[in-house]
Amino acid sequence: MRNSIMKYTFSTTLLALLVVVSLGQAAFAQDVLIRNATVLTVTNGTLEDTDVLITDGVIADIGTDLRAPRGVDVIDATGKFVMPGIIDAHAHIALSSINEGSSPVTAEVSMEDVVNPYHLGIYRASAGGVTVSHTMHGSANVIGGQNETIKHRWGATDPDAIRFEGAPRTIKFALGENPTRVHGRRASGGSGAIVPATRMGVEQVLRSAFENGKRYMEAWDAYNAEAATNPRAVPPVWNERLEVMADILRGEILVHCHSYRADEIVMLTRVLKDYGVDKITFQHANEAFKVAPELAAYGAHASVFADWWSYKFEVYYSTAYNAAILTRNGVITSVNSDSGELNRHLYHEAAKSQRYGGLTDDEALALITINPAIQLGIQDRVGSIEIGKDGDVAIFEGHPLSVYTIPVLTYVDGVKVFDRENDPDDVRVDVDPTAEVGMYEGQITGKDHIHSHEEVVDMLHFFQSVADTHIH
Amino acid sequence: MPKEAAFPRSSRAGNSRGLLWLAAALWLLPSEALAQKNSPDIPVVSTVTAIQNARIVPSPGQVIESGTVVFRDGVITAVGRRVDIPYDAHVIDGGDSLSVYAGFIDALSHVGIPEPRNQGQPESVPDRSNPPFERAGITPEASARTALDPEDDAVEAMRHAGFTTALVAPRGRMLPGQATLALLAGTDASEMILQGAEPMFFQFEGAQGVYPGTPMGVMSKFRQLYREADRRRKLEAMYSEDPSGLSKPPFDPVHEAFFPVIAGNRSVAIWADDVLEIHRAMTLQEELGFSMMLFGLEGGFDTLSNVAASGVPVALTLDLPDKPRWAAKVEADSLQQILDAYDDETRTATFRDVEAEQRNLESRQLWSRARYVGMAAAYHDAGVPFAFASMGVDAKDIHANLREMIGEGLSSDAALAALTTNAASMLGLSDRMGAIRTGMMANLVVTHGSLFNEDTKITMTFVNGHMFEAPASTGRTGSNSPSDR
Repeated sequence: MRNSIMKYTFSTTLLALLVVVSLGQAAFAQDVLIRNATVLTVTNGTLEDTDVLITDGVIADIGTDLRAPRGVDVIDATGKFVMPGIIDAHAHIALSSINEGSSPVTAEVSMEDVVNPYHLGIYRASAGGVTVSHTMHGSANVIGGQNETIKHRWGATDPDAIRFEGAPRTIKFALGENPTRVHGRRASGGSGAIVPATRMGVEQVLRSAFENGKRYMEAWDAYNAEAATNPRAVPPVWNERLEVMADILRGEILVHCHSYRADEIVMLTRVLKDYGVDKITFQHANEAFKVAPELAAYGAHASVFADWWSYKFEVYYSTAYNAAILTRNGVITSVNSDSGELNRHLYHEAAKSQRYGGLTDDEALALITINPAIQLGIQDRVGSIEIGKDGDVAIFEGHPLSVYTIPVLTYVDGVKVFDRENDPDDVRVDVDPTAEVGMYEGQITGKDHIHSHEEVVDMLHFFQSVADTHIH
Repeated sequence: MPKEAAFPRSSRAGNSRGLLWLAAALWLLPSEALAQKNSPDIPVVSTVTAIQNARIVPSPGQVIESGTVVFRDGVITAVGRRVDIPYDAHVIDGGDSLSVYAGFIDALSHVGIPEPRNQGQPESVPDRSNPPFERAGITPEASARTALDPEDDAVEAMRHAGFTTALVAPRGRMLPGQATLALLAGTDASEMILQGAEPMFFQFEGAQGVYPGTPMGVMSKFRQLYREADRRRKLEAMYSEDPSGLSKPPFDPVHEAFFPVIAGNRSVAIWADDVLEIHRAMTLQEELGFSMMLFGLEGGFDTLSNVAASGVPVALTLDLPDKPRWAAKVEADSLQQILDAYDDETRTATFRDVEAEQRNLESRQLWSRARYVGMAAAYHDAGVPFAFASMGVDAKDIHANLREMIGEGLSSDAALAALTTNAASMLGLSDRMGAIRTGMMANLVVTHGSLFNEDTKITMTFVNGHMFEAPASTGRTGSNSPSDR
């Protein structure tokens, strides 16, 4: 019978495949010794002819002629460069939905709930030396959802397995044209339009949300105090959204705000100051260079593109010197991708800050390593090559800031997740059993505010009804 | 005749087959059987049926060759090799060529809930961030009971596939309402309804154009409803004990519908359409602690260990992914060769050898589909008991799909258990159905040939003792060529 033969041979094929899958599924935390590399530590300069030993997924030793523990994988990196795994502070990979665009404030939703470990974007990013991504809610709402910091543990199938365990919570805010277009100018200002339609409205939405969060927090504090003595105390109405706003006010959530213009950037620092929120990273921030001293004074961070602009009106006033100006003004700055394509050459993006602004090697490398780590609150774990930090490293043929560099090996927790010498045609963890061969829906990522196929679907979903209603 | 046949759909069958006894049964049985004992009409003939000289499978793994089963008023009164046939019984002689199985139980389905015709665009609302509950697809207080319609085409189609009972979920989006247990026959909804579990049906289906529109929005909204309901439930309790000095607790039917869930008296039936939704369901369950039943689980081979560890009751989808278009035209033997040729280390420069890469991608795709087909077997081998759910599956595909699953390693007994005993146990019906035993409801499937064979025909289905004969054209257990799909 066909079926029984199928079963038998399926099993043998399965065996072969299990080898591949189990590589990815293996307990994340392995050992590896990298020999004779030029080690770009980022925080402690450059070390020539140096070994890096990773055991149990953690950097155990850095030095020369390290003894190889029994059975450890040894990589000869003579002539190669080892740098900390690159951290992308703004990504939308590995998600099943991006924008809950139905409301100007959706603080309660979380990318944690929609992490997709099967997304090929993870492998592609690791092929560019990226080991950590901050995978974010979209920019449709003034206060979007909470983001998720993930490790590129390719091969895992459990969404929890790729979470950067212990990373602080972060949340997406968005200013300017995106939230005003989505909410204030729905269907060209049709009847569905709500606040915010202008930048003034954006500020109003922010202040209302914070004010409500503050009152909510106070109401619960009052209730908890009363409940200590009065068993018949009545708890306030439960509100998931305001729970998150309250957590922002308590300093438990780092704010990452999509922004472009200098005026709106300063506006947000004023709003945050009024509510005592000091952890803020401005994302994109193309005009941040205009207010760099103000950002430095507030302790705000910036995560920018190297040279990506003019894709909409508010992004025309831009300069490739942005990262360098911010850095030299004392603003912790990173260079991010916001794209499933650009994230594979973030080392080039960082290098542009040398061509435009003359940053040092360490300053330029910090833009994609320790600085984004600081912005995500994970600098104790990743972002530099130091003993005790996670074994997340990228090995390059040629200096990573050279235009000729080639990423050849990437490790996450000491586990090899990308090897240029062994990079099979088909690395997918899941394969659509029905779709046309060659179709892989999940591969479409990138492009500014429409971040992915998923987001297009989200948006169509939203606008479908309204679009139909308003055709005159 | 007292009145028209109870189940008019069945009355058109039989004659063309030239089986006189069947014709007689159809003429007599449904009309009086409908009346049962509650009707003021005087029964015309016997309400007793005996099937004799049949191969009886009382439960998976057990067989009574050449046995007899007798049932009266919808209840099995005797089953065995030597059974006295009551004088007033309508006798069906299996002639040693019929097999009798317990009627199948569909663990989750929309059977009996007709699909709304033209839904059109949903109405627009002034504030889409805060739509009315109904517009957001949140009506957990509703019940499938009020929407049940025995005339729904799927009822007859499922019956002919051997299903006699289903947990029927209302249609809708995130929280369409409570599911109900229903017999797949009756003149009206109330005759179909079975008392028993009425879980709250929940799916990760966002609203159109309003909040919550995405899976993450649905997750948040569920938490919001649950936790606020928890607060209100406590307030209610406090207020009913002593209202003095307390404001009237807020009330709405949506939050109230969560009270029994929070109290542990009602479980949540979650449809998980893919592996990520399985994780989402388990996340919510772990956070909120409600009692959960999980349905669908397509692609759930990757969550097998999580599901096994959680002990959550599961019903797997009877759906299988369509074969890829390219494979539909290829002969089975060639497909096998393609599958065998898979090389996980293939590295070709696309411009050099497109064909080699294409072939490898194709074999990988076959391998992937085999995992879906083999999922039920994998769950069985891991010792995870499961039922089957037909939601979203065309009834005529069910048996072809079951045969594919069996071809990929699921034992016939395990398949039968999933359709009968496991489903009964999952839905709390084990004392009434799922097996052919004295005292149980007379829900039976009668086949010509062994159940999962390709050329087997389901000739009759009995629901609560009422006979339904398969129309000649759809008597087979399904399309012979699943690759048509």
